[in-house]
Amino acid sequence: MKNHFAIRLLLLIAPLAALAETISTNASTWEKSVVNIEVARKSYDYYQPWNRRSERAAKTGVVVGERQILATAQGLSDQTLVRMQKNGRGKWATASVVWIDYHANLALLTTEDAAFWRDLRPADLTSKPPAEGAKLQIVRWREGKLENRQAEFTQYSVNESVGSAINHVQMELDSEIRDAGSGEPVITDSRVAGITASQLGRTCKVITASFIHSVVDAHKSVSPRVLGYFHFYWQPAENPASLAQLKLSGEPRGVLVINVPERLDGVDCVLKPRDIILNIDGFDLDMQGDYIDPEFGSLTLENLSTRGRWAGDDMKMKIWRDGKPLDVMYRLPGYDFKNSLVPIAVHDQMPDYLIVGGLVFQPLTTPYLQRWGSEWERTAPFRLNHYRSDEATKAKPSLVILSQVLPDKFNIGYQEYRSLVVSQVNGQTVNKLADLQAALKKPKDKFHIIDFVPNESLQRIVLAAGDTEREATQRILKRFGIADAEQITSKSAAGK
Amino acid sequence: MFLKTVFTCLAFLVAGTCLGIEPERSVIQILTYRQSPDWSAPWRFDVVQRAGGSGFVIRGKRIMTNAHVVSWARQIIVRKYQDAKPYAAKVEFVAHDCDLAILTVEDESFFDGLPALGFGDLPKVRSTVITYGYPAGGEEISYTRGVVSRIELSPYSHIGNRRLLTVQTDAAINPGNSGGPVVQDDRVVGVAFQGIKSLEGAGFFIPPQVIQRFLKDIEDKHYDGLPLAGAGIASLQNPAYRALLKLPDNNLGARVDRIRSKTHTKNVLRADDVILKIGEFAVASDATILFQSNRVFCAMGFQLGQSGDSVPVQLWRDGKLQDVTVTLEAAVDDQCEGNQFDVEPRYFVFGGLVFTQLSLDYLRDSGREGSEATAGELNYELFFRNREEPELAREEPVVLSSVLTDAVNANFITRGRVLVDRINGIRIEKVADVIRAFASSTNTHDMIEFGGRGSFETLDHAEAVRANTKILKTYGITQDRHL
Repeated sequence: MKNHFAIRLLLLIAPLAALAETISTNASTWEKSVVNIEVARKSYDYYQPWNRRSERAAKTGVVVGERQILATAQGLSDQTLVRMQKNGRGKWATASVVWIDYHANLALLTTEDAAFWRDLRPADLTSKPPAEGAKLQIVRWREGKLENRQAEFTQYSVNESVGSAINHVQMELDSEIRDAGSGEPVITDSRVAGITASQLGRTCKVITASFIHSVVDAHKSVSPRVLGYFHFYWQPAENPASLAQLKLSGEPRGVLVINVPERLDGVDCVLKPRDIILNIDGFDLDMQGDYIDPEFGSLTLENLSTRGRWAGDDMKMKIWRDGKPLDVMYRLPGYDFKNSLVPIAVHDQMPDYLIVGGLVFQPLTTPYLQRWGSEWERTAPFRLNHYRSDEATKAKPSLVILSQVLPDKFNIGYQEYRSLVVSQVNGQTVNKLADLQAALKKPKDKFHIIDFVPNESLQRIVLAAGDTEREATQRILKRFGIADAEQITSKSAAGK
Repeated sequence: MFLKTVFTCLAFLVAGTCLGIEPERSVIQILTYRQSPDWSAPWRFDVVQRAGGSGFVIRGKRIMTNAHVVSWARQIIVRKYQDAKPYAAKVEFVAHDCDLAILTVEDESFFDGLPALGFGDLPKVRSTVITYGYPAGGEEISYTRGVVSRIELSPYSHIGNRRLLTVQTDAAINPGNSGGPVVQDDRVVGVAFQGIKSLEGAGFFIPPQVIQRFLKDIEDKHYDGLPLAGAGIASLQNPAYRALLKLPDNNLGARVDRIRSKTHTKNVLRADDVILKIGEFAVASDATILFQSNRVFCAMGFQLGQSGDSVPVQLWRDGKLQDVTVTLEAAVDDQCEGNQFDVEPRYFVFGGLVFTQLSLDYLRDSGREGSEATAGELNYELFFRNREEPELAREEPVVLSSVLTDAVNANFITRGRVLVDRINGIRIEKVADVIRAFASSTNTHDMIEFGGRGSFETLDHAEAVRANTKILKTYGITQDRHL
C-alpha cells in the first residue's frame, strides 16, 4: 500500500513539473531522425468482398538503427506501396517492410535507396520510463517543418493494442497536438520514450520504449516470438465475503478466476473458476488485480502476459484453491486473430467469400460488422454482434453467414434474406467457408439444403444443385461483374 | 333471399339500433390519470400523468376503447358528447394483445339516451370512412374523413410483439383519437389506434374481425387471449425447394419453417410441412390468403378463432396430402418480450439486492446503463435463448436490477443489470426461486452467480438478514417482495 501511494504522488507531480518548464529540445536533432511515411493500400468493401479500392495514409517513422525505421503497424496491412521521405520534403524513397507485428502495433521498415540514409541519424530509445517531471515532446513533420508539441505525462495504463486484443503498458499523455497517433515519436532527454498509437481528444496513448525494445529484440531471432495473453477471466476480490467463502486466510489479496474458456492449442487450462490468483511471475496481486511493476508502478495483471513474456512461456502462478495454496505453471497461449470466434481483424488478404447461386457466404468477422459505419457496435445486427462475446471452441471455431443474395430467377424467393448464420449444409456442419465448399460437393438428391441457426427469419434454404446451379452462378457473376465465385484463403481450409 | 334478409335484420336488432342517429352522441371522451411502474426499481411508480383518449358506447351499457388508453390508469373519467359532467369508469375487460378494452361506468345513468353503436364489416379498400374522437388540440369532438388505403397484418405497437389485421386510412388519426370509432354507413368498422411517425397522413384502425373475436372471447367473462399459429410460416416460391418437397408448381402452399417449442402445434406440424389450406382459406406460395378481397399473411387464418378452437389445416407432407387439426392456443409464454401492462413487476429485495424479472419493459427502463456486453447478454437471454437453446431457456429470467448500497453489500463489484444464474447452487428460473434459494440457505454465506462471463458475489447471510429491514426503510420500500 505504501508503494501504491508513492506512485500516485508521482503521477500528481509529473504534469505540474512538465507545465512549469520550457522546451529545450534541439529541434534540428530530430530532423535527422524523424521521417514521413506514405502508405498506399488496398481496402475492401466487406459487403461486396470482391470489390477493392486504393487508400493512402500518412504516418510518421523514426530511425532507430542501421537502415531501420520504426513505425506503428496500423495502416500498413494490405499495402501496395510504402514510401518514405526525410527532411519533411523532397524525394520519396520506396520502402519495404522488414517485419510487421499487428498485435504489438509495431513495424520495421527499410529502403535500398542509399541516398535516403545519408545524413539520417538513429535515435536512441530510453532505457527507463520518463522520470518524474521529465520534459516530453511529440515530434513530426508538418508541411515541411518539424512540429514539436509539448506533452504532459498523465499515467501509465494497460490497454489493448490498437488493432489487437493484446494488452500491454502504454503511456498516456495530454497534449494540444491534433491528429496524432500515427507513430509520432515522443521525446524526453534527447531519447525516444515511445511512439504514439492513438489519440482521443487531448489524450495520446504511447507505446513505451521498453515494450518496443522487447518486440524489436523478439523479431531479431530466427523464429520470431509471438505475443501471448491470459486466456481466463477474473474479477477483483474486493468482496471479503467472497474471500471468506473461498476460505482465503490472511489479508485480502489476489483476484477471483470466474471463467476459464477451452484452449484451442490443446494445453491444459490449469486454472479453474473460483481459484484465487495470488501471484504471477513473482509479482503479488492486490485485490484489484494490480501489481507493482518495477518500471511503471501499479499496473493491472494483464501486463504480465506481455512483460518480456511470449507465447509458449511457462509462468509461475501462486493460487488459492479449495482452501489451500497451490503453485501452478501457466503456459501462455499465443494470440492469433483466427482463434477468435469473430476475428477482430483480417490482414493482408482479400476478404473470404463464396457465391453459390447468388447466395453470398462470408466468415463473420469484425471488419464485416464494421461496414455498418462508425456506430457499428450499436447498428450492426444484434445477434451477429453478440457472437463477439462468445469464445471460439474446437466444436465451433468460427462462423459462416449468408451475407446477402444477389437476385436471380435461380434464387427467387430468397432475395430478402441476409445476416443468417449457417449451421449445416447438406447435413454437414459448417464453421468455415472450406466446410461449406466441401459440403456443396455432396448435394442431397440434386439439391443443396442450407440450414441456419434458429432465428425468427428463416431456418432453411434449398437450391438446385448441379448444372443448373453452376449456370446460375456463372450468369450471376457476369451480371454483377464479379470475377470469381470464391475467395478462400488456404489458412481457413477445413481442419487447419 | 328471404333467409338472408332475416339474418340481416336479426343482426341489426342484436347490435342495437343506431341507424339514423348521430354517432357522435355515442362517442365518449376518456380522461385517465395513469401511473406506470419503474421496472428497474419495481416497488416504485413514476409520476402520475394525465392522458386522453376516446371510446364509444356498445351494447350492454359498456364503452369500447383501446387498451393503451386505460392501461396503468389510477383513475378513469368519461364524458359524454357536449356534457361537462365527469363520470367515473372502470375497466371490465382489457386485451393488451389486440389493444382493446371494455369499460363500465359506475353511474349507469351515464348511458341514458346514448344509443349503442353497431358493428359493420371490414370496409373495402378505397371506400370512405369517418373517424370520431377527441384528439389533442381541442376539447370538442373531432371528425375526419378518409379513404381505406390498405388492409394487411401489421404490428400492434401497444404490445409490441403481435401482428394482427390492420386497416390503414388517410383519415387523420392523432393522439386522443385512440379508442374512437371509425364509422362507415353509421356502423363501426374499426377502432382508431395508432399512427406511424414516418408516415404522415396515415392512420390505422382495428378492424371488425379483431373486435368481434375479442367480444366473443370475453363472453365467458374471461379474456383468454389472441390465439397464434405456433409456427413460423415462410413463403415457398423457389422452384428447387418445391421440387424437393415434390410439390406441384401451382403457386399454392407455404412452408412451415419453425415451430414454437412451447405449443401443442409441435405435435401436429413439423418443419417443411407445406400448408395448403387453413380452414377455408387457400394458402398461396407467398404465404398469404385471400381475405375479403385482401391478400394478407396466412397467420390471419389462425387469428379468427378462440383459444381452444380447432382449425382444419390441409398439408402437403412427404409428397402427399394430409389433413390435420391445429388447436389454437393463446400464447402467454412470451409476455416478457412485449410491453406489459397493469400487472406490477415481480421483485424481491434481500440485503439490498434487488431482483426482478427480465423483460422488455425492464430493458427499456434501465436504459443503456452497464456495459454493452452486459446489455447484450440480457438481450440475448430475453429474445434469442429460447429459440437457439430452448433447453437452457428459463421460465422467467431474473436480473439483479440494482444494489441498494449498505455496509452488507458495499464491497460488491457488481452493481446490477446482470442476469442471475444461480443462488446457493439453485438455478434461478423465476423470481420465486430467488426467495427459495435464500430461504433454504444453510451456509454462513450466500453465493450469487451471474450469467455472461460467470462473475459472482457473496453475501454474509446473517448480516443480510439483519440489514434487510433497515435497507427497506432507508429506500422507502414497503414490501420486500411482489410476486
